[in-house]
Amino acid sequence: MQRRDFLRTLLATTGGLAIAPSVLAACGSSSSSSGALVIGTPQNPVTLPSTGEAIADGLANEGGTMEILNWADYTNPEVIADFEKAFGVTIKQSIYDNEDAAIAKLRNGTLKPDLIIGMTDTALARLVAGDLIQPLNQTYIPNRNNLLAGLQNPYYDLGSQYTMAQFIYGNGIGFRSDRVDAAQVAAEGYDSIWNSTYKGKLAVIDSYRDTISLALLQAGVTDVNTSDADVLAAAQENLIRLREATSPKVDIVSYTEIPAGNRDIAYMWGGDALAMPFYLAEGTSADALGFWYPQDTITANDFFCIPKASATPVAAHQFINYLLDVEVAIKNQTYVGYQPALTEVTVEAMLSSGGIVESVADAVVTQERYEAGARLVSLEPEVDALWNDVWTTFTAG
Amino acid sequence: MNSRNRLWVALTAPGVTWLVFFFVLPFYAVACVAFGSIDPIFRDAVPQWNPLNWDFAQASSVIDSILSGPLRGVVVRTVVYVLIAMACSFALGFPVAYYLARHAGKRRLLLLTLIVLPFWVNYLMRMLAWVNLLSPSGFAQRALSFFGVNYNWLDGSPVTVILGLVYGYVPFLILPLYATLERIDWRLVDAARDLGATSRQAFRLVTVPLASAGLVAAGILIALPMFGDYYTNDLLSRSPNTEMLGNQIDFYINNSSEPQNGAVLVMFLSGMLLIGLSWYLRNTARIGRERVR
Repeated sequence: MQRRDFLRTLLATTGGLAIAPSVLAACGSSSSSSGALVIGTPQNPVTLPSTGEAIADGLANEGGTMEILNWADYTNPEVIADFEKAFGVTIKQSIYDNEDAAIAKLRNGTLKPDLIIGMTDTALARLVAGDLIQPLNQTYIPNRNNLLAGLQNPYYDLGSQYTMAQFIYGNGIGFRSDRVDAAQVAAEGYDSIWNSTYKGKLAVIDSYRDTISLALLQAGVTDVNTSDADVLAAAQENLIRLREATSPKVDIVSYTEIPAGNRDIAYMWGGDALAMPFYLAEGTSADALGFWYPQDTITANDFFCIPKASATPVAAHQFINYLLDVEVAIKNQTYVGYQPALTEVTVEAMLSSGGIVESVADAVVTQERYEAGARLVSLEPEVDALWNDVWTTFTAG
Repeated sequence: MNSRNRLWVALTAPGVTWLVFFFVLPFYAVACVAFGSIDPIFRDAVPQWNPLNWDFAQASSVIDSILSGPLRGVVVRTVVYVLIAMACSFALGFPVAYYLARHAGKRRLLLLTLIVLPFWVNYLMRMLAWVNLLSPSGFAQRALSFFGVNYNWLDGSPVTVILGLVYGYVPFLILPLYATLERIDWRLVDAARDLGATSRQAFRLVTVPLASAGLVAAGILIALPMFGDYYTNDLLSRSPNTEMLGNQIDFYINNSSEPQNGAVLVMFLSGMLLIGLSWYLRNTARIGRERVR
């Protein structure tokens, strides 16, 4: 087991080793919030409310230590070291494995990072409502022009007031092409995940939004944020069919399990699929891997944002800008696997850098694919409760 | 109260304080979360500290789910897994503890150390080691396939989860059992044999009753963590087919917008164990009294 594998598995499996402390942590927020969430969708883009001033132009960075809140193995250590050397800043990382838990810790002061990496638009509305992040001063981030056009002015944050996109990905089906017929997967599409041939050798994502959406998409429903109880009930039945047909694993480690040969096929995040070749057993060709990119699927991106209480906002802006440099982003990709959301980071560029291999290159999200994909957006609490109920019924077995 | 009694009362104070701060208050906090509400913006729990304002609607829907909804299967599965794992643990652990206490002689300490030694390694590491061993390309799987056993241990198999529970908790059964058996006056067993009891009768009518306190303690020691365990399942299965109560609590608290459901399940689990243990201890005490008569 490699170090990255170990760390991710560790986080995935111990996210709540201390359940009781989590319950007690919940007690930290003794008052209810007021106001409403401002949630953007591709159909209804939003300008987020202003919650303060961005830092002034032309400031020197603060030096000292900058604390980053990040997912495990989500930034190349060499890139961090290069930045530290170039900008005279020491970077310390805290790891999170769950947006909700991270937001709770930001609110109660348990976490006090200077920069947050990897949050998504499902968290953004709450970060803004909680007055937890500060507006960006874009003069520090000229490399924002390298971003894909749609992400320079994203629907969830028009004008990129608070966020700057980082990685981009789309969901699809990863598989072992030496065990599964790639043509058959392409022909069957999502039905492959319901194919009992793969019983015991198949997995879906341990994320209720992604996997319930899979059930919706397989049934031809493209509204992956539906609040329709009947549609969700049908998705629940669909997931029960899936469970009975294939006994799926429900986790987020298919990117190691498929290359290790422990499973044949999985519904997975495209970014994880790009990382699969890193985990192939010695002597196994990367041609043994494959990925099917669905026409109707979910595409998403994550972003950088700077907490309101950041002690090093200038250095945080500089680090964002640094990571959006094309060469740096490609170097970062060779370690993380996920695809930078930059125009110039093309399939060819990543193939030549060795960051991806030909057999899974179909997991790369182009500008067109990104725009064509459905987005998972924040749900209203009562709708979210319906989604939770579907998930419980599925996972309860 | 004389001064001797006052001394003993004073000596209990740290323990009582500990229990109040680290059991009673946290349990009350869990109840406040269970019967509280959810922040509409942040989806985290808003505990209701005043019991007069507790809202039981959400708890009621969770209980409905336990009685007749999707959670019923989870509860039944958890109880079945734990009971089987306990039975396996007793079947494995009792002979070991018995041998150590009665027949190990000078090698007792060495054997005890060897049994406990692997368990000095972190639980997570040991389970991850099993994942590697049991994977289709793992050493254990390859060795078993040499003997014609081809079984996918990690495809969501209840057998693997139960074996994981047994492996994880059996030393916690062996140690208290050994401590009890080691203190038994074995001359009583010899006397039973002298009076005509068969070895089986002597075991059933003398050894087991004398070891009953240790059996109960060991059973409780492993049952409590097994019922709340979720990471053994997460590591060795991660399948809906083996979902246990701990996994549902983990989901509700760490990954859902309904953390109060997790708190309700925590309370349900505690209540179920409390009732079960009370019944068991009462029954054990009654049987003990009847035996004395």
